[in-house]
Amino acid sequence: MISIFLSHQWKSFWRSRNKAGSIAAQIVLGFFMLYFLAVAVGIGFWMTAIIEKVMPNVNPVIVFNGLILYYFLLDLAIRIQMQELPTLSVVPYLHLNISRQTIVNFLNLKSLVSFFNILPLFIFLPFIFININAASGATGVVAYLASILGLILFNNFLVLYIKRKAINNVAIFAVGIVVILGLAASDYYGFISIRNFSNLVFQTVAKYPFLALIFPIMAFTVFYINSKFLKANLYTEELSSKNEKKVSTDYPFLNQFGRVGELAALELKLILRHKRSRSSVIMGFMFLCYGFFFYRMPLIDGDEFGKMLFAAVFMTGINISVYGQFMFAWQSAHFDGLLTNKINHRDFIKAKFLLFTMSSTIITLLSSFYGFMSYKLLLLHLAAYLYNIGVGTIVVLYAANFNYKRLDITRSASFNWQGVGATQWLLGLPLLLLPIIIYLPFGIFNLPYWGLATLAFLGLLGLLMRNFWVGVIVRKFEEQRYKIAEGFRE
Amino acid sequence: MIEVKNLVKSYGGRTVVDIQSLNIRAGETIGLVGNNGAGKTTFFRMLLDLIRPDSGEILSKDINVAKSSQWKDYTASYLDEGFLIDYLTPEEYFTFIGSLHGLSIAHVADYLKQYEEFFNGEILNRGKYIRDFSKGNQNKVGIAAALMQKPELLILDEPFANLDPTTQIRLKTLIKNLSTTQRLTTFISSHDLNHVTDVCNRIILLEKGQIIKDFHTDENSLKELEAYFGE
Repeated sequence: MISIFLSHQWKSFWRSRNKAGSIAAQIVLGFFMLYFLAVAVGIGFWMTAIIEKVMPNVNPVIVFNGLILYYFLLDLAIRIQMQELPTLSVVPYLHLNISRQTIVNFLNLKSLVSFFNILPLFIFLPFIFININAASGATGVVAYLASILGLILFNNFLVLYIKRKAINNVAIFAVGIVVILGLAASDYYGFISIRNFSNLVFQTVAKYPFLALIFPIMAFTVFYINSKFLKANLYTEELSSKNEKKVSTDYPFLNQFGRVGELAALELKLILRHKRSRSSVIMGFMFLCYGFFFYRMPLIDGDEFGKMLFAAVFMTGINISVYGQFMFAWQSAHFDGLLTNKINHRDFIKAKFLLFTMSSTIITLLSSFYGFMSYKLLLLHLAAYLYNIGVGTIVVLYAANFNYKRLDITRSASFNWQGVGATQWLLGLPLLLLPIIIYLPFGIFNLPYWGLATLAFLGLLGLLMRNFWVGVIVRKFEEQRYKIAEGFRE
Repeated sequence: MIEVKNLVKSYGGRTVVDIQSLNIRAGETIGLVGNNGAGKTTFFRMLLDLIRPDSGEILSKDINVAKSSQWKDYTASYLDEGFLIDYLTPEEYFTFIGSLHGLSIAHVADYLKQYEEFFNGEILNRGKYIRDFSKGNQNKVGIAAALMQKPELLILDEPFANLDPTTQIRLKTLIKNLSTTQRLTTFISSHDLNHVTDVCNRIILLEKGQIIKDFHTDENSLKELEAYFGE
């Protein structure tokens, strides 16, 4: 059965409309993976040498022990953002003579084939086989292996569980992030030491090898909870909200924009009435804390905006890149209706500009609390904001004309994860890197403020020429509309 | 009203639509019949400029539908649920469609009154989004929204499918009335030969994309069609 599922997935990948796009994405991802894999292999084989060089007077095993939990905490943080959820459009299989367990097993099994599960093997195993073997013998090796494998599986299924829950309930995602951030912060400020704790744990494991069983047991528990959740959700399709009475709403503030405002209101309803789009917007607010990672006093004092630009552009333009990259596909279910109705294509595109501008403005205003760190950050955000609404919107909407892939936002929220993993960020990357490339020469020649001014100027230029760009996008849209409509009808 | 010239569309080497010439006068009610794959829906999609023809053109009031969107001013259509914005309540949807044609909320509400019978109390003020309705009721919303636009040209794909018998009969009366009182030109496709011969005054029979019969309905039409499909 599993092999049949695999072959169906294989076919759905190769026969999909957006084949070229997804292959390209996979190739780029593949390069990233190869790079990290090479790094991991290097670290794994020269671990002893590296440890001895960095901390010459400490026993390497102690340093290694300290690293393990540290690594897996970091791993958890990265996975939450990057790990893709295994997908299978289950609906066509549910009414057939296939047990639910089989479907759940398939999804669980497939999740194991992940880059994040292979990486730690390369990093940790060589050291275990060489040094731990020397220090505590074969039983020690077995205990360490069980721990590492247990931790890998634990992280794997924990992240799947959190992500699945988070799709229906964003608060859980927030809690997950806050817990991880809290641990990292308390380690950073020295309240607790993850390294000491990790070292303690693994010294105990080395002494009493049977204690290593704790990790596989933890992994199994999460695995069990995850499977149960999946099985229970194989058929609830947003059932919870079915019973409440739906009311018609109106957004008076959009009415002043006339026809364009009406279309924007329509899309606003689309965003607010689907869990999928709603959580991506809420996620945007959460990423407002991104600045705390990137903004450091030394960088601010040294006017090194280049290193902070990424965070600024990311935060102020989050909705443009996250919502925008699936642009038009959000409306794939009724795209035919939009085309046949008396809707001016210009208005259609302008409504999207309006929405982007509004959301970006709101987020930028909210992000101004970073001004308490330094007024320079306000300048940085202003430049990023202008770039986003001036240039970013144009790029995103032009690119939207080449997206023919249907996005089903209504159907079964728990099984629709198109773009909630690494690919999502990958597609947004060009948009985020462009301003850094523009800034780069100014950074090199130490003209930071000129760099910001240039970005802001480009943004303003884009804003002033918006009508011209709307025209360009509309022309492309009219050329592509048959193709887009055909793809969305699938 | 509508003029089709040398219209060809093929997919993967198979011709789906191949209409040399077809003229429709204003006020005609045309029934498009044919088995699955005859090209009915593809033809409708080209008529609505949703699919680009391989060659040929469709003129609506002498203007190519692919070149200008003037036809949208007087054309209303409902092919499938893809035409509905399913996360809106029916009221919101009607208001939106109405606003595209310059109707105020009051106008729309007033207009919907005459469809109370057609809706059978199942559509308005139910506190549901369109996506939560059954297929038959979604159809009703789509058809009513199309009629609300006061079109001169109406295009409906399988409008009787999924409708309950009462509504089927009401829809037939509605279309007949509109074609006499407002000189509405209508395209209807259907697999139900009874309905088609009843409502339409001209039948076009498609087979593998080609028009093989085109006649005005009389008392023998049903027998003629049954004979063709019974072969």
